[in-house]
Amino acid sequence: MARFACRVSFDSRQDFALAFLSILFEGAPFILLGTLISGFIDVYLPSGAMDRFLPRRRVPAVLVAGLLGAVFPVCECAVVPVIRRLVRKGLPVSCALTYMLAAPIVNPVTALSTWKAFQGQYPEWMTASRLLLGFLMAVAVGLVASRLPAASMLKPKVLDRHDDAAPSDVRDPQDHAHDPAHRDETCCHEAGCGHAHDEVPGGRMVAAFRSAMRDFIDVGVYFAIGVSITALFNTGIAPGAEWLDGLAGDRFLAPMALMVLAFILSLCSTSDAFIAATLDKFAWSAKLAFLTFGPMMDVKLVFLYQSVLRRRFILILAAGLFAAIGSVAIVWQQLWPNLSSMP
Amino acid sequence: MSAPVRRVLFSLALLLWSAVMLYFHSSGRIQKYLAPDFRPILFVGGLGLAVVGLFNLLTAREPGSCGHDAADDPGHDHEATDLHPVTALLLMVLPVGLSVAWTKDEYSAAALARKGLYDAPSPTAAPLPAMMMQAQLVREDIEKSHRKTPDGYHEFNLLELFFAIGDRTVQPLIDGMKIETEGRWVDEKANNPQGTRKRLYRLFITCCAADSRAIPIVLEYGAPPPVFPENGWVKVAGTMGYPLENGVLQPVLRVERTLAADPPFEEHFLRY
Repeated sequence: MARFACRVSFDSRQDFALAFLSILFEGAPFILLGTLISGFIDVYLPSGAMDRFLPRRRVPAVLVAGLLGAVFPVCECAVVPVIRRLVRKGLPVSCALTYMLAAPIVNPVTALSTWKAFQGQYPEWMTASRLLLGFLMAVAVGLVASRLPAASMLKPKVLDRHDDAAPSDVRDPQDHAHDPAHRDETCCHEAGCGHAHDEVPGGRMVAAFRSAMRDFIDVGVYFAIGVSITALFNTGIAPGAEWLDGLAGDRFLAPMALMVLAFILSLCSTSDAFIAATLDKFAWSAKLAFLTFGPMMDVKLVFLYQSVLRRRFILILAAGLFAAIGSVAIVWQQLWPNLSSMP
Repeated sequence: MSAPVRRVLFSLALLLWSAVMLYFHSSGRIQKYLAPDFRPILFVGGLGLAVVGLFNLLTAREPGSCGHDAADDPGHDHEATDLHPVTALLLMVLPVGLSVAWTKDEYSAAALARKGLYDAPSPTAAPLPAMMMQAQLVREDIEKSHRKTPDGYHEFNLLELFFAIGDRTVQPLIDGMKIETEGRWVDEKANNPQGTRKRLYRLFITCCAADSRAIPIVLEYGAPPPVFPENGWVKVAGTMGYPLENGVLQPVLRVERTLAADPPFEEHFLRY
């Protein structure tokens, strides 16, 4: 950053600063909203709650898992630890994968931020398309995963814990094995936990705010980096900005270019729409690809996914999502070519 | 690094973001950055960040309880971050700090050129006001809907003049009208061999300054233009025309008077 500061002209600095601050101001409140929700979910929501929402049959379970983000809204960073915990407790991998891919997109915070960011650029269309495409892609991955052996997807350590846990499709409601006499309204534990109720008064609230702050920092760091890069391209300072603009008019390469950009920028799904909306040289469908692929696969997620999934599976998942979302975006543009970025 | 120190550092990062957001909102500078409907959201977000930052700062040494048993997941930590705390802090604070120091609340000429200041007008559908979308318009309708100055010019905004190019009904009606409009005054760099032209523009914001587009018209003086500060606000009056230049219709105002002006309350055009 210091090197950048020394080399660029005063005009470029002023342009970068204006673009950077404007995108930051637009997106930061939505990041806060998302991280507050995820922080409180982290501390107050029992991890078995999601498991209880799922039907027992495979296909309906995958479909419901794709919609759980509407009830338990978390961004892609927060969803991985949740999934790791749930998979270890025996949640079917297909449902876990579906929830992991869908929840960052199919949730009210992301819907609200997308709708706000695309004001004047067909916001209802973009929001509905994003949620629908995100849901369909996640369900497709879940259905494919339901036919694969867990060993081909999960890391050995996670797999051992998963196999030890009771399979979820034979779940018994009584599996939440607390002693009935021991239940209380604030208990948020999983079955079989050896907990002691030695909570400090107000300790949960403190923990929830700390979790929210941690999430805000994690997301804020990537957001600041992403906004910086976007501001450099937006104002033409970055080398390659003209080259990227040149791809904008290519109906095949534009979605691919923006998916690669989404992969590199590693933005949070609660705020990435504010970046996409400023890419005004790109067609609407390319932005849709950016907004669908980014929350499912990016640089930071590759690292996070490795805590649960095998590398080979992550690679196949990335390639499959890239091809599928890119193809859908191209077809989408053919069907509705008049949806441009500016009215 | 101990947990309380980490919490203090992160709280300070949140408070810095909050302070910047609240300062830009309360100082009014936010008008240059965000469309109006985002401004209250920014204010609430700034207050929210202040609450979260202060709460965590004041309880940095308090014990917290996440409610579930750490033995269930030995690696679980509700406060661990992806990056080292100092790295995370620098990445949060440096870009914001530098941007606050560097910003002049407006774009340079180079960035404006990138945002369409010198682009040829596109004869496509345009966001014209509802008044202009009525069928069977006659010039009297347009004149009635635009206030007349004491010296006989009808007040138009640049958006109407610019996007009339894409409306075959409205454009012939405005062509030849005596109009007055306001905007920012810059050099004309395209098709100006005699040096008798300037360019007038305003920015159109959809959501934030990063997505803004320049809305320009050409000012033709027929002689060396008067001297005004570059990028300063002016009111110009004259006769509007849409000549074909290099195969493209251009909005050109033959200027009869030019006055320095104060910036309007909302400097940018906003979506409606």
